[in-house]
Amino acid sequence: MKNKTVVGESRDIALAINLIKLGARLQVLESETSLSYERLLKLYKEVAGKSPSKGMLPFSTDWFMTWQPNMHSSLFLNAYENLNKSSDIDEIDAIIKAYELYVEQMQAIGTEPILSITRAWRLVKFVDAGMVTLTGCTKCRGHFVNHTFEIDDEYVCGLCNPPPRAGKTTRSREAEEI
Amino acid sequence: MITNEQLMTEVREANMSYLMLAQHMLRDDREQAMYRLGLHEEVADMITMLTPGQILKIANSNMLMCRFRFDDDVVWSLLLSHGQTQKTNDGINAHAIHAGILMASHACQANSIAA
Repeated sequence: MKNKTVVGESRDIALAINLIKLGARLQVLESETSLSYERLLKLYKEVAGKSPSKGMLPFSTDWFMTWQPNMHSSLFLNAYENLNKSSDIDEIDAIIKAYELYVEQMQAIGTEPILSITRAWRLVKFVDAGMVTLTGCTKCRGHFVNHTFEIDDEYVCGLCNPPPRAGKTTRSREAEEI
Repeated sequence: MITNEQLMTEVREANMSYLMLAQHMLRDDREQAMYRLGLHEEVADMITMLTPGQILKIANSNMLMCRFRFDDDVVWSLLLSHGQTQKTNDGINAHAIHAGILMASHACQANSIAA
C-alpha cells in the first residue's frame, strides 16, 4: 500500500475523516487509505457516532443507467472529469471535490442528492476499468454516463428524450396516493 | 439617463469585484474555483498571484474582463424554464439538472478543445 510514515498516516486520517463525513462506506476508506481495518472502524465510530453499515457494495453499472440516477451521475462525472483534466490532483481528492460540487448544485436547485459518495467513487472506478464512459448527446451536446461499448452513433440522452415513466418511483407513487 | 461616464464606472466596478471574487475563490480552493470559473491552470495561477495594485490596474479599463460563458441557446432556454413545472413526481426539476449537466459538460471550453 502507500507510505507508512507519520506524515503519510496523518494525511490518511484526515482523508478518512473527510470521507466518513461525506457518508462513505468502510470499503471506500479501506481502498483509499493504508490504515488498518481496526483503526478505520474506530475512526468511523468516533466521527459518525455509529457503526458502519455492513454488506457488500453495489457492484453493477445498471443503477447508473436508470433515468434519474443517470442525470445525477452525469452531473457528478462531468465535474469530476473537469477537475481531473484541468489540474494535477489525486484521484480521491478529485472525487471528493467533485462530489461537494454536485451536492452543492443539488441544494441550489432544491433536489435531494440521490448519488452517494460511495456510488460516486464506484462510478469513477467503473470509468477507470473502462466499463463506463461519458457519451455526448447528439441533441443537446451534453455529456452523459453510458456503457463504453454501446454501439449507438445517434445517442440521445434521457433528458432530451425521457422515457414514458421517467421519475415515477415507488416513493413518488406513494406520495400521490396520500 | 445613464451617461457614458457612469457606465464606464460600472464596468470598472464589475471588473474589480469579478477579479477580487475570482482571486478569493482560487485561494480558497484552487481546483473547485477553476471549475466554477471555467478557467484553466495558466490563467488561474496568474489571477492568484495578482497584487491589489495589479487588480486595480487591470480593472481600470473600458472593457469587461468577464463574459457570458455559455453561448449555447439550449442552456439558456433550460435555465429560463427553471421555475416552470416539468417537475417529475419526485419534485425534481429536470430542466435545472439538464442545464447543470450541459454547463458541467462545457465548464471549461479550452479543456474540451484540448481533449
